[in-house]
Amino acid sequence: MDTPSANIIPKEPSRAEDCTAPVAKGIAVETELGPESRLLAEMLGEELWRAAGAELVELSQAEFAGALEAIGVRDNFGLDPGKQANERQREMFWRALHLEELALARGCALGREPAWRRFLEQYREQLTRAAMEMTGSAALGEELAGALYSELFGLTEREGERWSPLLRYSGRGSLMGWLRAILAQRRVDHYRKIGRETALGEIEPAARVSEQLELKQLEDLREAIKITLNAAPAEERFLLSAYYLDQHTLHEMSRVLRIHEATVSRKLKRATDRLRKQLLRTLKARGLSRRAAEEALGTDPRDVDINLRKLLQKSEGDPNSSKEQQG
Amino acid sequence: MNWNFQLAIHPDADQLSVFVEGATTSREHEQMLAHLAECAECRKAVFLMQPNEETQPATRRPVNGWIWGRLLPVGLPVAALACGLVAVLVHIWPRDGALRNRHQNASLREPEVHLPQTTVAPTTDSEKDQRSLRPKNSFAPNAAATGLSRQENPVASDLNFPKSKSGQAPTNMAAPETTDARLSANAQVAKAARVKGGISDATRSEMPLNGRNFTNPGQLQTPSHTQGAAAQNDPAKEKTLPRLEIAQESGQAEALAGVSGRITDRSGATISGARISLRDAAGKTRQTTTSADGSFHLTELPAGRYELIATASGFKTSEQSIQLNPSQLAMLQPVLDIGTASEQVTVEAASAAAPVQTESANVGQVVGGQVVAEIPSVGRAVAVPSGLPVTATVSHGKRFLSLDSTGNLFLSRNGGKKWKKINPQWTGKPVRIELTPAYSSEAPPKPKNETLGNASEVAVFLLTTESGTVWTSKDGAHWRQQ
Repeated sequence: MDTPSANIIPKEPSRAEDCTAPVAKGIAVETELGPESRLLAEMLGEELWRAAGAELVELSQAEFAGALEAIGVRDNFGLDPGKQANERQREMFWRALHLEELALARGCALGREPAWRRFLEQYREQLTRAAMEMTGSAALGEELAGALYSELFGLTEREGERWSPLLRYSGRGSLMGWLRAILAQRRVDHYRKIGRETALGEIEPAARVSEQLELKQLEDLREAIKITLNAAPAEERFLLSAYYLDQHTLHEMSRVLRIHEATVSRKLKRATDRLRKQLLRTLKARGLSRRAAEEALGTDPRDVDINLRKLLQKSEGDPNSSKEQQG
Repeated sequence: MNWNFQLAIHPDADQLSVFVEGATTSREHEQMLAHLAECAECRKAVFLMQPNEETQPATRRPVNGWIWGRLLPVGLPVAALACGLVAVLVHIWPRDGALRNRHQNASLREPEVHLPQTTVAPTTDSEKDQRSLRPKNSFAPNAAATGLSRQENPVASDLNFPKSKSGQAPTNMAAPETTDARLSANAQVAKAARVKGGISDATRSEMPLNGRNFTNPGQLQTPSHTQGAAAQNDPAKEKTLPRLEIAQESGQAEALAGVSGRITDRSGATISGARISLRDAAGKTRQTTTSADGSFHLTELPAGRYELIATASGFKTSEQSIQLNPSQLAMLQPVLDIGTASEQVTVEAASAAAPVQTESANVGQVVGGQVVAEIPSVGRAVAVPSGLPVTATVSHGKRFLSLDSTGNLFLSRNGGKKWKKINPQWTGKPVRIELTPAYSSEAPPKPKNETLGNASEVAVFLLTTESGTVWTSKDGAHWRQQ
């Protein structure tokens, strides 16, 4: 049974907390910016403050301006690293934020009562419903949502201070989207903690490929697939992983990538074809005849799909892979 | 966003939400995809974040104003449906009567059959069934519109149009042609109904619409069970008769019917001068002759069953039975077959003009007596791959040469089954093809291996271009200038 301890703050660091370092650094910038280094002009700051309705959540103009500047600095105003944003670019960046939701999140993070009232009014029901969707159960959903509420409310402390994840909300996306992301991360964390998450590499052993190939050939294949995948564009790699490893549907992938399902299908087919060709080429270069290489991958297209999946799993689970190396 | 991704550092919720909502820059997008391709957990989180499509509307922010909030989900489909309906109505509205009639004829006209059927509304139950089984070649929205109009406007069913003995559909609705006469007939019925006082003003205003909606006879059929029920003991049926009486008592003459059409041969060429006889049950006959374009019209016919007899010189006589209903203009397209030697055909030696229109008709050919003798029975139905009208065809043995209206020359080596276009070696448009004098009679084709002496002696086919140059060919494929 999935019975996570509700309202209990995990003792071991969650994967979400693993990645807080750069973000927390961003927050720290907020306090480091002195009046002399203000990036946000007072006039614009006031305009944005009013537009965000920050007054309603008892957020002062200075607090809001500080948040805006911190976010801008953290994300370099949407520019590539190393580039310096001019005044116009900074203004465009700030104006593109979800200002009202950002003010609300900041107000909540700072423990302002009106902000919390408004937050509960607007998001509580949605948040619970989203949690139920993710868990597939009303009880588990409410439990997940409840745990997140306590976390958002700032029951956790960092360096002796009350701390809320809402401080990390940048306003670039919607607040509800951010809440869903937090929920999804907590859900994945929960799986990881209770050990219910089956390692992806162990879902289905690459038995067939192993049976067909000698050990050396299998190593060749792994190496080949690693080389091929590294050379592939990020989107192709994502598609291959999501489709063959996670077995998501084309429709699900299309929603994530915000492209049409048919486009996903076409891209996936192109990626698969390219991967197969590249694998064949690599195997031939390593001394396998074309026929042996084709047999290794499977002459039947369905075999190719199955084998690709297994090879991707093996590649992903390979201790020499880059992911594991750095993880 | 300066995310500074490292594979070991997962994106935080903010970065994930920005990615999922598509607010990333292209660089961030690439970075996130690269991470997701490697990181199964973040992939899982991203897919988990996707809102359930079924519950997506529920998570929508509440809409201000309860009316819009409630009406939007219902109102949008209804609005879309209404737009579609308006589009259909605009499409079928009689912008041009002639144009619309042509559309209707096209949709109702039978494909070429040996014994052509009338295009009138189904007159018997069996015919109705046939029509209902026939694939609909008219526009589908019309059907939808009809269905809607039936639902929303009870006039069609409420009027209870008079039924004939055979229980056929109301004629003023069923007639495929929407002529002025028909419209006036519609108006008559509407007027009769108004006399009865059974129709509200609102429904009355939609009367013409109803008539127009029922342009496709196939759509008029009520379900068989409905018909059966109506035939058995529908109280409305009894109300029908007084309405008819009212219409007649009100001094309006009984609506007359008409027949119109065009006579063609099997190749589609119209036949002028054909005699059309329409004989009613009492033996009374009305006659007319087809005009130069093969068309004929007989109007002011009382409703009833008629025998239509089409006779043309050189063709088999065609007979068919039609049922004319009041206010109905039946469209016919009898197709006459060429008479064979074993059959009795009408031959009129004194005919001043060729009965088959060969100049302005779609399909025609200029043939000489000798050539005609050589063309087998399919000769008239020559159809070349270009699909254009054939202006001349000559044959020698199984070799056919046809010239279409644009001057393209086609050769068939198997009696017209397969055709091949001959690449012109000449300049200018060919205007005539014929057999050389040596082969203009029924002489057998000369052996292939015969030595070619004088080309003009062995040539079979002659082609004359508009510039007057003459080309000869032995096989129809290879030509040389004479």
